[in-house]
Amino acid sequence: MTEDKRTELKMGRDRSKPLLQVENLVKYFPVRAGVFRRVVDYVRAVDDVSFEIYPRETLGLVGESGCGKTTVGMTLLRLHETTSGRIIVEGKDTTYYFMPFFRARKYLKETYVNRFDDLKEKAGSTDSAIKSLENEFDKKMVRQYFEKHNGSGSDFMKEMLSKREDKRKAFRREAQFIFQDPYSSLNPRMRVKNIISEAAIIHKQATRKEALKKAADLLKTVGLSTEHMSRFPHEFSGGQRQRIGIARALVLNPDIIIADEAVSALDVSIQAQVLNILNDLQEQFGLTFLFIAHDLSVIRHVSDRIAVMYLGKIVELASKDELFAKPMHPYTVSLMSAIPIPDPEKKSKRIVLKGDVPSPINPPSGCRFHTRCPIAKEICSKEEPPLVEIEDGHKVACHFAGEMKR
Amino acid sequence: MNNNNNHKKPLLSVKDLRTYFHTEDGIVKAVDGVSFEVYPGETLGIVGESGCGKSVTALSIMRLLDEKGEIAGGEIEFDNMNVLSIPENKMRKLRGNEMAMIFQEPMTALNPVYTVGDQIMEAILLHQDVNEKKARELAVDMLQRVGIPEPGKRVDEYPHELSGGMRQRAMIAMSLSCNPKLLFADEPTTALDVTIQAQILELMKELQNEYGMSIIMITHDLGVIAEVTDRVVVMYAGKVVEYADVNTLFKEPRHPYSWGLMNAIPRLDEEKEKLYNIPGIVPNPLDFPEGCRFSTRCPHATDKCKTEEPPLEEVGEKHFAACWHIDKLLEEIKRVREGESA
Repeated sequence: MTEDKRTELKMGRDRSKPLLQVENLVKYFPVRAGVFRRVVDYVRAVDDVSFEIYPRETLGLVGESGCGKTTVGMTLLRLHETTSGRIIVEGKDTTYYFMPFFRARKYLKETYVNRFDDLKEKAGSTDSAIKSLENEFDKKMVRQYFEKHNGSGSDFMKEMLSKREDKRKAFRREAQFIFQDPYSSLNPRMRVKNIISEAAIIHKQATRKEALKKAADLLKTVGLSTEHMSRFPHEFSGGQRQRIGIARALVLNPDIIIADEAVSALDVSIQAQVLNILNDLQEQFGLTFLFIAHDLSVIRHVSDRIAVMYLGKIVELASKDELFAKPMHPYTVSLMSAIPIPDPEKKSKRIVLKGDVPSPINPPSGCRFHTRCPIAKEICSKEEPPLVEIEDGHKVACHFAGEMKR
Repeated sequence: MNNNNNHKKPLLSVKDLRTYFHTEDGIVKAVDGVSFEVYPGETLGIVGESGCGKSVTALSIMRLLDEKGEIAGGEIEFDNMNVLSIPENKMRKLRGNEMAMIFQEPMTALNPVYTVGDQIMEAILLHQDVNEKKARELAVDMLQRVGIPEPGKRVDEYPHELSGGMRQRAMIAMSLSCNPKLLFADEPTTALDVTIQAQILELMKELQNEYGMSIIMITHDLGVIAEVTDRVVVMYAGKVVEYADVNTLFKEPRHPYSWGLMNAIPRLDEEKEKLYNIPGIVPNPLDFPEGCRFSTRCPHATDKCKTEEPPLEEVGEKHFAACWHIDKLLEEIKRVREGESA
């Protein structure tokens, strides 16, 4: 597909249908100890996180260190394998793409085949089985399973598991990553032109010559010049390297870009330059961003919708305007009040949270925030509040949502 | 906290400080003619981007430069003493006792093989005439004051057993253990999470009220500056470009760099369509531009800026700025602010 066509396709996407759906994503890292490196416990880095990203929007993911925001980003791109949960891109289940063969088989069997068979048995007929499902994506899959494959599990899995290498590559073309540290994320032994064009050549999107021309164009797009093409990363400043990282992410003209703390290592004036570039590129290429950052001011500037994470969970998710006008979760309220505002006349009253973020190896019972929450009551330590939609598009996980004011 | 400095004598006065580093590639003029005063009990902010010389200024005042660094000129007067002429053994008595410092990364600033208590006690035993038992008591007391829970237990723990916020508290306990007159805080909250940053800033304010020391707060974060400082020095490429009290600086900036910096940051309290773009990058310290060092990135720069260096001049009451074209900047500010209110 040519460059313009891809951009056209992206621009034409229906903005009411999610481009990326994350369902109940869980990622545990094993903690090993002892002579035999036995698994003694798990770091519950991401624990049941669900959200959607719509075409050409920016979803901001904000939280303090250790809340699992980076793990979410990395797991989405399968730089970590998922522990459980489902990642759906453009109406396709991509979760099993990068799993080893037998795990992928097991995943498909458990997620679809066994579940759908049971469903049919209970419901009696295919139609009532379809009706009993609420999830849109599951409905689509169940149709595919019964109508296309006549309810044959082996046929279904065979198709799903075929051409996985191509599927993986297509996925990599669709989703790209911008890393936090512009110093360690560029290979010091590669010239800029090769860093940027490598992916286009590997994915056979262009000949070497075309790829180099594309690299030159992209360098200009991100505000560098073609004379930088043959230089090495160490010859650049932090802000310039981050631009190279952005150009590299753009070379395949992806749909989704996951930017993990893309500006936090940069100086204030350079940070502004990079944020402005990302903004322009979104319009130019029709990009969809998952923007991960700890800085709520930066998140406010770039995002359309914002998800606030605390200790592996999303505690609040809303559109930007809604979130800032009416923050509902006590953690969001405290986070907002904790940030110093660069105006000495607006010295706000602070809500200073007590204590530190608890360890994700042993998270508190009930609501994970109850140990630091200024309005916690008895129920909070016993029952975990689910993430529920309180107003249109505004989801909060709190027993006493909206009771704490700034 | 203390805006009535007119009749007081400054605790610290730095005049035309020049600190040069002799490197293989040439001389780096990291600090080149910096002057300011710190009054008793106040907080002075030094703000600027990386490489502007803000940390080197602090290290020069404490005379902690490595062998490549040299104070090439200027005067530093602290508490009626000429810091630059004090012999090294007396300087050691001053450091930690009269002036102390807290650093950005508490993990690298604390010694990993000694307990937190040992490190605090070391400072106390060096500077105060007490025995070990008493020093330990003082250390526990200090840890309590900086809000570390169970100080009697924590005193025997190693730095790696504490969280980032707790380590920074331990650092503060150590620096305040001898009740210094002046505390340098070099990006004390940059490595911390915002909720922890709020705790630490709150703590520093409380301790300042209790002990009455002066603080020099070095940071790149204008939010922190607005929140905790009384007066501010804005540095760019080794020079002071603006020097004013904090309200004046934010209300009436008189240097294009200060103005640009304020508009370049995304704000939590208001919506901005596009961030102000300071074009280009900080110049190479081996080869600063002639004339005004900001001229390569300044939208108002003229030929004069590229050849003649603007002096730091009084532009209002206790308000200094180094710019040839304040009139042009004023026009720009007026235009932008009218646009905002319209």
